[in-house]
Amino acid sequence: MALAIEARDLRRTYRTRTGWLNPRRVEIDAVRGVDLDVRRGELFGLLGPNGAGKTTTIKMLNTLLIPSSGSARVCGFDVVSQTREVRRRIGYVFGGDRGLYDRLSALDNLRYFAELYGVPAARQKRRIGELLELVGLTGRERERVEGYSRGMRQRLHIARGLLHEPEVLFLDEPSIGVDPVAARELRNTVAGLAATGTTVLLTTHYMAEAEELCDRIAVIAGGEIQALGTADELKHHAEGRRVLEVQAFGVSDSQLAGIDVLPGVRESSVDIVGTAQVLTVQSDATVDVQADVLRLLDGVRLGRVTARQPTLEDAYVAIVGRSPVEVAA
Amino acid sequence: MRLLTVGGVIAYRALFNWTTPSMFVGTLLVGPLFQLLFFAFLGRQLGVASDSFYIVGNAVLAASVACVFGGTMAVSNERRYGTLGHVLLSPRPRTLVFLGRAVPYAGNGLLIAAFTLTVGSLVLGLRVPLGAIPGLAVTLAVGSLSCAFFGLTLGALGLRFRDVWLVSNVSISLLLLLTGVNVPADHLPAWMRVVGGGLPITHSAEAARRLVAGDGFGAAMPALGKEFAVGVAYAVVAAALLKVFEAESRRRASLDTL
Amino acid sequence: MSVLRLIGRGTLLHVKQLSRSQFEIATALFVPLVQATLAVYLFRAGSEPHRLLEAAVGAGMMAVWSSVLFGSGGAIQNQRWQGTLEMLMLAPRPPALLVFPITLATAVTGTYAMIATLLWGGLVYRIPLDVADPLAFAVSVPAAILGLGMFGLLLASTFVLLPNANAINNTLEYPIWLVSGMLVPITVLPGWTGPIGAVLPTTWAARAVRESVTGSGPVWPSLGVCLALSFVCLVAGALVMSYVERRARANATLALA
Repeated sequence: MALAIEARDLRRTYRTRTGWLNPRRVEIDAVRGVDLDVRRGELFGLLGPNGAGKTTTIKMLNTLLIPSSGSARVCGFDVVSQTREVRRRIGYVFGGDRGLYDRLSALDNLRYFAELYGVPAARQKRRIGELLELVGLTGRERERVEGYSRGMRQRLHIARGLLHEPEVLFLDEPSIGVDPVAARELRNTVAGLAATGTTVLLTTHYMAEAEELCDRIAVIAGGEIQALGTADELKHHAEGRRVLEVQAFGVSDSQLAGIDVLPGVRESSVDIVGTAQVLTVQSDATVDVQADVLRLLDGVRLGRVTARQPTLEDAYVAIVGRSPVEVAA
Repeated sequence: MRLLTVGGVIAYRALFNWTTPSMFVGTLLVGPLFQLLFFAFLGRQLGVASDSFYIVGNAVLAASVACVFGGTMAVSNERRYGTLGHVLLSPRPRTLVFLGRAVPYAGNGLLIAAFTLTVGSLVLGLRVPLGAIPGLAVTLAVGSLSCAFFGLTLGALGLRFRDVWLVSNVSISLLLLLTGVNVPADHLPAWMRVVGGGLPITHSAEAARRLVAGDGFGAAMPALGKEFAVGVAYAVVAAALLKVFEAESRRRASLDTL
Repeated sequence: MSVLRLIGRGTLLHVKQLSRSQFEIATALFVPLVQATLAVYLFRAGSEPHRLLEAAVGAGMMAVWSSVLFGSGGAIQNQRWQGTLEMLMLAPRPPALLVFPITLATAVTGTYAMIATLLWGGLVYRIPLDVADPLAFAVSVPAAILGLGMFGLLLASTFVLLPNANAINNTLEYPIWLVSGMLVPITVLPGWTGPIGAVLPTTWAARAVRESVTGSGPVWPSLGVCLALSFVCLVAGALVMSYVERRARANATLALA
C-alpha cells in the first residue's frame, strides 16, 4: 500500500445559525470536492489563501470533522469509521499559541499527551527527551508554558504531535506568527522529519515555505483544488506571462483599478514592503504594459521598476486569481 | 436626569446582548428561589427561625446577584468593549452618566426580588398582608438600588484591581452571612453585625420583615432610612473612586489596556 | 492497568492545572469558608449547637459539589476555550477516558475547601476533629470524591448537549445541597423529593461521610450505594460522551471557531 492519504470527492458544508430572535440558517460550502493522493514519505503542501478550505480539509483527514460527503483513508483506514486506527497513526500540529495547558510545564504537557496517545510507559521518558532535543526546548522543559514565546509554543506543539511517532503528520499553518529565524528552524525540523520517512501534509499560505519544503503542492482556493504538481510544474501556470514590478509611494485605489483593466493585464496586486508599495502586474508575455502602467502612475513617486520572469508566487497568484469562487467568497 | 436614564437603558441592553433569556431565568430567577428554599428548609430543620424570616430575607437578598454583578459589569464591560474611554471623555457630566449605569440593574433586581417574594410565599404558604405591599415595593426598590451602588463601587475598584470578579463573588457570599438574612443578627458576633450594618440589604431586610409582620410603614421607616443612607454612601464612594482612578489611569494611560 | 495509569496521570495533570489558577483557588477556598461560618452560626442558633463538626464537614461537602458542578458542567467548554479539546479528542482512546480525569480533578480540587473548612472550624471555632470512625472517614471522603467525579462525567457529557448549560449550572447548586442533605439531612422536605435524593450519588456520599463523622450509622452500605450509583453515572456518561464526540465531529463544534 503506497498511499498514506487518499481522499475522494471530499466535501464539507457548515451550517450556522445567526441571531436568536429571528434565526436564519446559513450554509457555507467550505470544501467542495477535494481529491488527494499523498504517497508514503511524501512532503505534500496544501497552499491557499485564508478561507480556502485548507484547515477544513486537514480536519476531515485527521478525524476531527466528518465529511458531508466523499471519503478519505489515512494509512488505509477510513477516517469516519476507523477513527481509532487512524488516530494511532497520525500527529496533528496547528499554528498559533493555543491548545496547550498553559499553567503547566512543557514536560507535564508532553507526559500527559504521551500517556493519552498510548506511548508505552517504558519509552516515554526517552522519547520526550529526544523530542525536547529535536525542537530545542531542552533545559526549558520545566518552565510553565504561559511564559513561553510563540515560537517555543509552536515547537512544543510539534514535539507533542510527534510523541507517538506518527506515520502521517498534519501540519496546519505551523509558521503562523513565528519570527523568521524560528520559521527557518521549523522548516529544517520538518524537512528532517520527511527525511526519516514520515509523511507530512503541510498547509501554508507562505509560498517560500511550500516551495522549499514540499515534494508536491496542491493549490486550493474556494474549497477546490485548482492546481497540483511540483513547484516547477506549478510555475507553468504562469507561462506565457511576464511580470512587471514597480516600487511606488502612494498609489491610489482608483489608479490600481485602472491598471487592472489595461489591455493585456492578467493580474495585479500590491504588497507593502517597509514604507513602499510594491506593485506586481502580470501580463501576457506578448504585450508590454510597462509604458501604460507608468502612464497611469503619473504623479506618484516611483522607485525601482523591473520586468522579470514569473516565479512560483506569480503562478500561485495566477491560479488563485483564476478560480471564480474566490471572488464570491 | 434624562441622560441618567438613557445611558442606563443603553448599558442594560448591552448586557442582554449576551445574556440570553434562559440565562436570565436560570441564574437570576430560579437561582435565588432555590436559595430561598434551601435556607427556609434548613431553618425549619434546625429550628432557627420562622419561614417568614427566611422568605422575606432571601427575597430581599435575591436582588443582590443581579445588582452586584450588574454594577460590576457596568464598569468592567465598558472597559472590555473599549467604551469606557468614550464615556469618561464625553462632555456630559460623567458622574451622572456613571451612576446612571446602576439604575437599570437596580430595576432588574427589584423585579427579581418581587418575583422571589411572590413565588416563595406561594410555595411555602406565607401570607403577606395586602396593606404591606406598597411599602414592600418601596423597600425592595431601595434595597436593590443600594445593592447596585455597592456593585458599582466594586466595579470602580475593578478599574484598579484586576480580579474584580473574585471580589464580587466573595462579596455576594459575604452578603449571605453578614446581612443577617439567614442567621438572625442576634446570633452573630458583634463585629459581624457592625460590618453587616454597613452593607446593603441588611436594613431593607429588616424593614421588609416589619412590614410583613404587619407593623406598618412607620415601624419600617427607620430601617428603610438606614438602607437609603447606605445606598447613597456607596454611590458617593463609587463616584469618588471613579474620579480618583480616572485621573490615575489617564496619567498612566491604562484606561483601556489594563 | 494502562487505563488506570492514564486516569491517574490525567487527573494529576488537571488537578495541577486547576490548582494554579489563583482566581479559581481563591473563590474555591473563600466562598466555602463563608458558608462554613454561616453553617456554624446556623447550627448554634438552632437546636444543634453540639453538631458543629458536622457543619464544617457538611460545608466541605457542599464545596465539593460546587466544584464538581461548575468544573465538570463546564469541563468540555473549558477545554474548547483553551484549544485543548481537539488535542484530547485526537487521542486514540474512548472519549470518556479523556474527560473523566477532568471531572475527577474537579472533585479532587473540591477537597481543598473541605480541608479549609475543617481547619477553619478548628482554628476559629475550636471545633475538635472528633471523628467517630477515623478509618471510615479516611476511606469515605476519598471514595465520595471518586463518586462525585464519576457523577461529574455524566454532567460534563449531558451539559455540553444543552444549549444553555451555564444557566442550568447556576441553578443546580442549592437544590442538590438541599435534596442531598449535604449540610444536614432535611427531614422536613416534601415527600416527593425523597426519591430524587435517593437516586443521587451526592446524597449517599454526604450520608457516608456524615455517618463516619458522627457514628450515626454504618458507613459502608451508604458508601457502597454511593459508588454503585456513581458507577451507573460513569457508564451513562461514557455512552453520552461517545455520542457527543460523534456529534461534535459532525457539527464542527470541537474547535472554537
